Amino acid sequence: MDFDPTRVAFIVVSAIAVVSAFRVVTAAKIMHAALWLGLTFLMLAGVFLLMGAEFLAAAQVLIYVGAITTIILFGIMLSEAAEVRGRGAAPLPVRRDDASLFRRIVLPALAVLAFVGVMVVVYSQVSWPDAPAGLGGDTVRMIGRALFTDFIIPFELAAVLLLIALIGAIVIAVRDNGRREQG
Amino acid sequence: MYEWLLGTGMSQSLANIIMGVLKSLIIIVFLAVSALILVLMERKVAGRIQNRPGPNRLGPGGMFQTFADAIKLVSKEDVVPSGADKAVYILAPLVIFAASVALWVVIPFGPNLVVQDLNIGLIYLAAVTGINVLAFLMAGWSSNNKWSLIGSMRSAAQLVSYEIPLVLTLVAVGMMAGSLRLGDVVAAQQGGIQNWFVFPQIIGFIVFVVAGMAEANRKPFDLPEGESELVAGYNTEYSGFRWAVFFLAEYANLIVFSALATTFFLGGPSGPLLPPIVWFFIKTYAVIFVTMWIGWTLPRIRIDHLMNLGWYVLIPLALINLGWTGLYVLWRG
Repeated sequence: MDFDPTRVAFIVVSAIAVVSAFRVVTAAKIMHAALWLGLTFLMLAGVFLLMGAEFLAAAQVLIYVGAITTIILFGIMLSEAAEVRGRGAAPLPVRRDDASLFRRIVLPALAVLAFVGVMVVVYSQVSWPDAPAGLGGDTVRMIGRALFTDFIIPFELAAVLLLIALIGAIVIAVRDNGRREQG
Repeated sequence: MYEWLLGTGMSQSLANIIMGVLKSLIIIVFLAVSALILVLMERKVAGRIQNRPGPNRLGPGGMFQTFADAIKLVSKEDVVPSGADKAVYILAPLVIFAASVALWVVIPFGPNLVVQDLNIGLIYLAAVTGINVLAFLMAGWSSNNKWSLIGSMRSAAQLVSYEIPLVLTLVAVGMMAGSLRLGDVVAAQQGGIQNWFVFPQIIGFIVFVVAGMAEANRKPFDLPEGESELVAGYNTEYSGFRWAVFFLAEYANLIVFSALATTFFLGGPSGPLLPPIVWFFIKTYAVIFVTMWIGWTLPRIRIDHLMNLGWYVLIPLALINLGWTGLYVLWRG
């Protein structure tokens, strides 16, 4: 078999992504879950890179690894609940007695089966577009042009939405501050 | 080298991988040697500014002092605090060092002397810098120490605040060059000192230097360390080799920031007579010297002043610079 570095890289990157995504759910400490999430995001950037979407990969690292994971970590560190920070408290007790066999095994299994079924149907029905041939060029320029011509209205709407969220966050933070000073 | 590997009958992909490993090793050795030089330089500059000789016992003018320090650090016992989150504690210095090395991928030392001139170089730099924040938080949290935790929170707040003006100045540089590739940024500044971006981008340059010093945790922005109030910040619990890695990463960040200032505003590796790589190092070390000069002259600023400087001064300045750059590019045609 011919040694195809792109294929090998894809297998390694996607395997790490899947394993770390699994660890996000199973990690006992929420801090570890957040770090696994960061690794998943990083590996997804690798997948984008292998598809020739460099800009998307860089944006993925910038936004998801650099900003979102950091904010999640901040949230964990600043929260006061001991079980959230995973420090000095036992992990949440799992009550096995009152969870019946049906709820513990049959229901999750049914949910998983249903999801797999839906995904199989989707994958077999949808006709996937072929890999775009001309994507090797200057993707940044293409994205920029598309954003400011065809997608100008969604782009502006997203900007306004983010602005509203920003102002909302400030309003909430200021109100909480005032209350603390009074009390 | 690459051709030679292909000549031995090796497949192209294998040759690529070997070249990649070699280039990374060269960068790591380069960073280690730079750190040794910079530590000595820092202590000498500090000594001169504080009117004392600085290290002067080991070798001519104290030249071998840092070697001795490095050997001491490496031979120290490896200590992991008992309450620490061991896996994260061990990973944190590795993550921060990997991010520092990864930044060097796109920096042009000279014409054709770059690991990989990515076409998204500027965004790549911004993205990789963001990983540093994560590493600081990992180090501070996993140490199970209040000083570390406070230090890492300060680091993260500082890095996140100063990343915004930094990225805004990068955007302006990209607009000037009409490309996000660092090779094109250098090419746009060829042909003499009058073409350097530092003149049309003087506001951007100042914002970049201030924000870059804050990003690299240089004095007077070294609040995360703040030894008088925080012991040593996020790396309080680290010792020996792991601490050395943090130290190395810090100096790697200093030199990367200076190299970027050189590339973006000072014409990069270009100049008369001397070969480009020599000019690159002359300019980079000149920027480093200026940051050390500033750092040892000004007192450390207070945390609320730091935040105010970032949000009320640097970000508006960077935005003004962005608007001005747009007008300038339009006017230039």
